[in-house]
Amino acid sequence: MSLMRYLAKRVSHSIPTFIGALLFMFILVRVLPGDPARLIAGPEALEQDVQRIREQLGLDKPLYLQFVDYVTTLLRGDLGTSIKFRTPVINEIMARLPYTIVLALVAEAIAISVALPLGILSALRPNSKLSYVSSTISLLGASAPIFWVALMFIYVFSVSLRWLPSSGADSPRHIILPATTLALLLMGNLTRITRSSIIEASNSNHVLTAAAKGLRDRAILVRHVLKNAMIPIVTIMGLQIGSLLGGAIITETVYAWPGIGSLLIDAIFFRDYTLIQGIILFIVLTFIAINIIVDVVYALIDPRIRDLLWRTS
Amino acid sequence: MEKILEVIDLRVYYDLPQGSVKAIDGVDLDVVKGEILGIAGESGSGKSTLALTVSGLLRPPAKVVSGKVLFNGVDILKLKNDELRSIRGSKIGMIFQDPNTYLNPIYTVGFQVGEVFEAHRGGSLRKYLDEVVKLFKAVKIADPERRVNAYPHQMSGGMKQRVLISMAIAGEPELIVADEPTSALDVTVQAEIVELLNEIRDRMNTSVIFITHDLALLLEISNRVAIMYAGKLVEVGKSSEMLKDPLHPYTKALLSSLRYERKKKLASIKGSIPSLINPPSGCRFHMRCPYALPKCSQVEPKLVDVNGRKVACFLVGDGYGGSDKSH
Repeated sequence: MSLMRYLAKRVSHSIPTFIGALLFMFILVRVLPGDPARLIAGPEALEQDVQRIREQLGLDKPLYLQFVDYVTTLLRGDLGTSIKFRTPVINEIMARLPYTIVLALVAEAIAISVALPLGILSALRPNSKLSYVSSTISLLGASAPIFWVALMFIYVFSVSLRWLPSSGADSPRHIILPATTLALLLMGNLTRITRSSIIEASNSNHVLTAAAKGLRDRAILVRHVLKNAMIPIVTIMGLQIGSLLGGAIITETVYAWPGIGSLLIDAIFFRDYTLIQGIILFIVLTFIAINIIVDVVYALIDPRIRDLLWRTS
Repeated sequence: MEKILEVIDLRVYYDLPQGSVKAIDGVDLDVVKGEILGIAGESGSGKSTLALTVSGLLRPPAKVVSGKVLFNGVDILKLKNDELRSIRGSKIGMIFQDPNTYLNPIYTVGFQVGEVFEAHRGGSLRKYLDEVVKLFKAVKIADPERRVNAYPHQMSGGMKQRVLISMAIAGEPELIVADEPTSALDVTVQAEIVELLNEIRDRMNTSVIFITHDLALLLEISNRVAIMYAGKLVEVGKSSEMLKDPLHPYTKALLSSLRYERKKKLASIKGSIPSLINPPSGCRFHMRCPYALPKCSQVEPKLVDVNGRKVACFLVGDGYGGSDKSH
């Protein structure tokens, strides 16, 4: 019960954040140099034609009226019509979103399945070769620019070795390179945080108590080290959704992956205001949702946080 | 009297980059069945390391360099991991200093106590709930049926220490090692915990090693007291006798600092514990000792019997401290 109340409170507290983000991106999009009406009309069009298109799109109105229009349509659950595609924005997003979700999930899955074992093993044997290997990988993953990694992957695996396709999304094989590129971005930090939080958890006094009870090493590790170490790990996973979305924009563009990242780039190039707004709105909502989910997961792991969050709400 | 624990010439060093810290450097000590043996000393004297060694809980960088720890005649230092594990929590119970950090914050206290049964008798934790409630009653936790579902942060320090004690006695151990079990608690709570430990000893005929820097408390509750200084024992004897007539200058200094404390004056022993990486030659206390003789800085006094007590000092007994008699 208190969970539902907590959720309701968190959601209502996110509304100002949401409105602020909405206003900010609305202005930012319009501050961009370039004019969608001019782009639609073409370079040779007459000024009066451009003006007519501007009026059709409602871009001749003052900025505040445009915002009021936008918000009122939004309140009706309508994201507007794409300037470029002349279709509802929601349709464009829904057509592309599954690709981004699949890409993000596969990347996260790769990152977790490499980073967690690597972090755990190198925490348990801090001076082993594996530990050095994992530190090197984390450093590389965290510091290599994603577009460079993507280009290198294409060069090595598509051009030289001809193992994997370099662009498109026609078969499951197409996801391997973009997902691995994205995973590499997440892996570095995830390995590092996993390693350090496990080292910290295994040095806590309650682990000594667990050993004094005569618990088996496995039970000590799973119950009293790993579960306690999960809190910082979950945090970093939540925070990484940000890098994941940012990384997806670059990755999707390089690999021509038809997700909302590459859609956003298209929309920006075409100054498709409604489409840009629609996509960013989705991203903002994702962020807010992830933050709430991360806090709920904390509370599920740690009863101290549960008491603090739920009892006071 | 039956000995439950014999520590023989134990040396435990910590291997650090700066050198090895000789935390325990040749300690011989017995614990008799059913007694409370107190171990006192300043911080850094090696008493906590001794507690961890006896319970088989030493972790790197600590390393046993030599010696034996015979528990019921079996050297626990030679046991395999799994054999040691089956002793910990069932035959030897351990109580730690700070109940706030020695409980895992993310599990209920009932779960954490139940784990002792699960570890040694197997099966699922759930079926031991009744026994955990019984244990909580035994350590006088009010409303035990409800408290088993509480998390550590929902309890007071004294309550948490009772939980840790219930954990230590869950396996009905023959030996309880209590490392500063009252130091993190209020004075009134301290008294309750000490009384509880006394009761447990009487009821279960358990031997207790009670470690603290609080000598006054120790002399009150323990049958015998061992005084540790810089990794060595300096005096071992009956509490009542030691209180009346301390023999070693260090014991004297500790006791007189207590008496001053009662007069609300600050009294301390001048100087501090010497480096345990390069301990001084001779008696390790000689630099702080008001009665030090020239030979105290060269020859190490041995722990010898003096009227049923053991003392390591050239000033007592035959004046030779059991060392090379030609001096």
